[in-house]
Amino acid sequence: MRSRITRRVRIKTPDLNLVDRVKGHIDAIVTAAFQAIFPDRITIQYPRERRDVPDNFRGMIQFDINKCISCFQCSFVCPANAIMMRGAPDGRYYPCIDYTRCIFCHFCVDTCPRGALLRTKIHDVAFSSMEEMFATTEELIEPPEMLREDDTVIRYRIENGDLVLEKIEEIAELSTRPEIQVSPAKLSACAHPENCIACTLCYLTCPSNAISVKVVEGKRTFEIDPKLCTGCGLCVKECPTCTLTLIER
Amino acid sequence: MAEACYLCWEVELPERRKKGMKYFGILKEFVIDSGICSHCTTCANICPVRGITAGDKPIDFPNWIELCVDCGACIRVCPRWNYVPLKGMGDYIEILGAKSKRFRGQDGGLVTEIIASAMEMGEIDRAIFVGRDDEWKPVIIHVKSVEQLEGERIRGTKYSFADVIVELRDAVFHTEKGVGVIGTPCMVSGVRKLQKVVKRYSENVKLVVGLFCTENFYHHQLSEFLAEKGIDLTKAVKTDIKKGKFIVEFEDGSKTSFSVKEFDEIIPSGCKVCQDFSGVESDVSVGSVGTPDGYSTVMVRTEIAKKIMDYIRKKDYVEFTEPKPAVVEKLVKYKVKIHPYPPEKKE
Ligand SMILES: Cc1cc2nc3c(=O)[nH]c(=O)nc-3n(C[C@H](O)[C@H](O)[C@H](O)COP(=O)(O)OP(=O)(O)OC[C@H]3O[C@@H](n4cnc5c(N)ncnc54)[C@H](O)[C@@H]3O)c2cc1C
Repeated sequence: MRSRITRRVRIKTPDLNLVDRVKGHIDAIVTAAFQAIFPDRITIQYPRERRDVPDNFRGMIQFDINKCISCFQCSFVCPANAIMMRGAPDGRYYPCIDYTRCIFCHFCVDTCPRGALLRTKIHDVAFSSMEEMFATTEELIEPPEMLREDDTVIRYRIENGDLVLEKIEEIAELSTRPEIQVSPAKLSACAHPENCIACTLCYLTCPSNAISVKVVEGKRTFEIDPKLCTGCGLCVKECPTCTLTLIER
Repeated sequence: MAEACYLCWEVELPERRKKGMKYFGILKEFVIDSGICSHCTTCANICPVRGITAGDKPIDFPNWIELCVDCGACIRVCPRWNYVPLKGMGDYIEILGAKSKRFRGQDGGLVTEIIASAMEMGEIDRAIFVGRDDEWKPVIIHVKSVEQLEGERIRGTKYSFADVIVELRDAVFHTEKGVGVIGTPCMVSGVRKLQKVVKRYSENVKLVVGLFCTENFYHHQLSEFLAEKGIDLTKAVKTDIKKGKFIVEFEDGSKTSFSVKEFDEIIPSGCKVCQDFSGVESDVSVGSVGTPDGYSTVMVRTEIAKKIMDYIRKKDYVEFTEPKPAVVEKLVKYKVKIHPYPPEKKE
């Protein structure tokens, strides 16, 4: 058996002469000075700098009230229950977004049949109170309010296997977005009159007054005005007997 | 789009027997409050605002004055509106006595067998059954597979009103192949009326199994009545009406029985004007009378039921016995006799 040998090793400072020592110190000072002026870094100095994000970045949401048909689809689809539809004086309902709940999935934007919800690149969800995080319809129409301090856009590149940061001296454009594709406008129509029980829920639900009901000689007559119908489909959802459907115009 | 769509269409409204009153109010006055409502719950099925309530209480629509949308659908589907009692044996292709080899039931388990076979054949993909809780209160069960029918409480008769037809609504709008419904004769008539009013029901309700029935009860009245007699329904495993006796069978095999005459007070008034014992409007009617204990009497009335019965025969799922149509006929006539309509005025 080998006996265990314990020996103390003392590390000695290298035996440098004065010239080498001075040279070493000067090297260190030069590197430090260089880093102080042109630092190597990959972090972004937010909020003075902003990262460049792709055009379809899922940031805060803007709303175009002129395109909205009050179909509730955004609020139905929202997995976080962040969208509340609020009644407006024109008899329609428009979305409000609760940013305490929003998970920025943009399902609402993707599902909107008329392209009324718009993506922005704004991700600065910093608020001073919970109440402020509830964006009302009016607030959604304007681009989200924020304090801009940035003057530089940062883009990352990979160079020789290293992450390199590229600085561009400009103010980032946060509202550019790709054109949203919308399907053609729809029209509500009666596909199965034999199912209709004359309950008038369609008429009561329609936010555009496109459905009219008359009683003539013991019959209830329904009529859909294609000029007023926006194709929101609320009547289709409300109909208890699956009488109505949306058709292409 | 292949099908035609319309921007204008019309629907016939029922007569408004009372000017200025909403349709539910009229139904309430002429059917419910006049005591001829059978509690089939068809009106609660069709009510577009789901305002009509059923369950263990007489049919009602709390706050109908405000909430009823006045469509009149409840009146159009009500089997007791302009009531002309159905009666007799009805048309049938064949009458059989049978017992399932697969399922134990109230009698021969034939209701369960017919539904299971219809599912196997792909005629239906779901059926509405009446199960029960510990207190024997009916619980609606949407059966979507044959395996589900193995549950102990799903088979057998519960002598209480159940919201089968209310639940039919969801089934009819979700089914892909078709729905099977099981119910007392009043429920069968309700389904047939629904099928006339809403096409979706005529397309999607493929099989209607009628149960022979003399009368049914409100659960709370039946259980209170039995509690007074010292019967703890939570310990019961079977309830039955046979030869004029209401029989309760317990876990330990013991039985108690009373004459059904004692129940007279709690028989709902709507049942007292019902003369349809055999469920004449069903596709197939099943009951206990007319065959020995442990067998069901089956009256096959329509082509679809015949097709299912032929399949059951081919698969050898049941044992047959000779039925006695005369016995069924006797009860058919008896029901007409004890349930006169219009009701005899009491002095
Ligand atoms: C209220 C009532 C009164 C009856 N009265 C008579 C009678 O006087 N004479 C007679 O011969 N037969 C009567 N029956 C029928 C009988 O009790 C059996 O249901 C029938 O013979 C079928 O037996 P089975 O073994 O084939 O059914 P099973 O295979 O046991 O299936 C029984 C079926 O009945 C359904 N069911 C149970 N309770 C209810 C309910 N409250 N409402 C709706 N469906 C229900 C269950 O969902 C199940 O599908 C009555 C049934 C009921 C529900």
